[in-house]
Amino acid sequence: MSEIPTSVLVVDDEIQIRRFLRTGFELDGFQVHEAETGAEALRAATMKPSDLVILDLGLPDMDGADVLERLRAWSTVPLIVLSVRASEDEKVRLLELGADDYVVKPFGMAELLARAHSAMRRQLRMARGEPIIKFGPLAIDFAARAVSINDQRLPLTPKEYRLLQILAQHSGNVVTHQFLLREIWGNEHVDDTHYLRIFVRKLRRKIEADPTQPRILLTELGVGYRLVASDPAPVPQPDQAAAQ
Amino acid sequence: MQLNPRLHDLGREVRGILIALVLIAATTAALLLLRHYFGILRGSILYLVPVMIAGYELGMIPALVTAIAGVFLSGYLVFSPLYTFQIASPQEALNLLLFIVVAVVVSHLSSLAKQHIQIAQKREQEMTDLYAFSRRLAAAPSAAEIFVAIQDHLANLVQRKVVLLGAADAGGESDVPESVRSTVTRAGHDEALEHIVEDANTDTWLIRRVSPRTPDFGLVAVDLGKVTGGELADMRHRIDDALADAAATLERLDVARALNEAKMRSETELLREALIGSVSHELRTPLASILGAATILHNAPALARDERLLALTAVVRDEAERLNIDIQNLLDATTISRQQVRPKLQWVEPIDIVNAAVDHRRRRLTGYPVTLDLDSNLPIVHVDPAQVEQALVQIIDNAAKYSPVGSPIRIAAHPHGHSHGRTVVLSVHDTGAGLTQEERRQVGGRFFRGPRHAVTTSGSGLGLWITKAFISANGGKVEVESDGVDRGTTVSIHLPMSAEEIMPEVESLDAEAMESAAE
Repeated sequence: MSEIPTSVLVVDDEIQIRRFLRTGFELDGFQVHEAETGAEALRAATMKPSDLVILDLGLPDMDGADVLERLRAWSTVPLIVLSVRASEDEKVRLLELGADDYVVKPFGMAELLARAHSAMRRQLRMARGEPIIKFGPLAIDFAARAVSINDQRLPLTPKEYRLLQILAQHSGNVVTHQFLLREIWGNEHVDDTHYLRIFVRKLRRKIEADPTQPRILLTELGVGYRLVASDPAPVPQPDQAAAQ
Repeated sequence: MQLNPRLHDLGREVRGILIALVLIAATTAALLLLRHYFGILRGSILYLVPVMIAGYELGMIPALVTAIAGVFLSGYLVFSPLYTFQIASPQEALNLLLFIVVAVVVSHLSSLAKQHIQIAQKREQEMTDLYAFSRRLAAAPSAAEIFVAIQDHLANLVQRKVVLLGAADAGGESDVPESVRSTVTRAGHDEALEHIVEDANTDTWLIRRVSPRTPDFGLVAVDLGKVTGGELADMRHRIDDALADAAATLERLDVARALNEAKMRSETELLREALIGSVSHELRTPLASILGAATILHNAPALARDERLLALTAVVRDEAERLNIDIQNLLDATTISRQQVRPKLQWVEPIDIVNAAVDHRRRRLTGYPVTLDLDSNLPIVHVDPAQVEQALVQIIDNAAKYSPVGSPIRIAAHPHGHSHGRTVVLSVHDTGAGLTQEERRQVGGRFFRGPRHAVTTSGSGLGLWITKAFISANGGKVEVESDGVDRGTTVSIHLPMSAEEIMPEVESLDAEAMESAAE
């Protein structure tokens, strides 16, 4: 990390949860601030802006979704929502309200850290405007609108490219079906998930070594998709992938 | 006619008076004809005919009007001097007075006779109804039939709405107007036999226990409409008669005990479900701290060199995860037994469901060589992805639970069947304990545990029951096969395939995309 430590604001009313989150984040090099209530969280986010917010939904004074909505009115800080068994619909709603990702309690610290780093990387990249993003063997050149796999140019239809582009812009974080459908096919198709299923299948045949065991374009069941880079899996052969 | 009832009555009277005047005119015409052809001068008695007709058919007021008109016309036409309203002699005046008295008495008597006949007819009808009701009660085989009979009979009696409340298979409170509902709730709890209340339309409602002795028979709410005090007393009397008969029949059938038991059972069930729901939720929060802390300890640099401590942190982590799974199963079981499984259908890639399930049980499957055999060309299915995944996860748990570590598990996704009734099959095949014929028959029942494993392997007996409930809610079915003890088990989820119509549409969508790519 840089000389100024990265800071995280942990919002949860359960002291034990805050305790382990503090330790977990501190071991990962974060400076940790805590808030117990929604009001405290909003105050802290204004007075001492942090680089990341972890927001629990079950707060004593206000609904976590309200905190999220108010925060998003003026801040683009990377934000991960914690909840006890949210339904798929609830997850989608939180993502649409502007959460970068969600983690369902109980969870492992590694999982939360992975989501958090993805959300922060995305923010950083948007600030810098990186022209090329890599996901394992896959490289997306936004400027040239070109996609390659192991340095081999990959022919994509415009909609396939658009799908990959949106996922790449949110790299590592989940993007909802609704968002993808709206961006690619327009508002009247937000419920046509079958469009997405078919296009994702086509895209996987082009970019995944084994389309039945995706390593790059992952499904978040009932919610959406995420594109991930952390892939030490075998490198696919470009001709094989493209030929299918 | 939606007129005010008073206005309606007035209209009827006016019509009656008009008809009475026509009758008088006709009588006068007849009198004049008789006089012309037969020279009859004294025909005033003829006016008694329209008075009687009016009294019988039209009621008291038209009859009186007829009588008065008859008196005037008699005075004009019959009593001398003729064609004036003056009376010549005291004798004549007396005659006219006599006529007036007779006319009024006749009009009154005929109107009363009519009323009595009507009442008699109505009574007769009621007796017939009551007799039919008793016969129906006597023949009723169950409480439900009796309640229906009560409802029908009372509705027929009052010709308005009747709602039965609080007993088995009876209508709900929603059938009662808003303004009456609070009284109904109160009546359900207090001792009083009956309550009388007016609703928002000033209709009177009678809310009464079906039986004064047995509260379990519930309440009946009767809309009596707009009634006067006398009518109300009469109605109450007749409703009492009907209900006394019905309550006696209900008691004869010993319905009270059955109803009471059913109520107790459902209350216990509800309490248990609520307890499971809230306990599960309360357990999750501390569990989140335990699991979170364990995962941090497991990766902590300070512990990295000590294998024994690492193994301990793994135990905490894995057991916390197992507890979480058990809680999830309890919650799912609660949802199922409350019959609240409502699939949110969407188009899903079947392979995604398999991968998610395997991913969620990655740690559970450690030590078992897992083969995935997934058809990459499966049609997409229209199901609730979370429920189907949860169903598959249960099967994977069972496969690992009843197979020795190291034995292979194969998870497959394939199409099945021809043209009609085609399905997508997600199957889990293990080489473990297998099933006896008897176990295969019983497996999947709630809380069923094979007796061979009841002692050696922990479990709730909920897993396959949850699987079956979720899959059947999604329009699919579950099949269990085994070649016998220690020869492995295959559990298959069949999901309905309905993608035929949807595929071409998407293909054409892609064709558009290809064209624009070629530009």
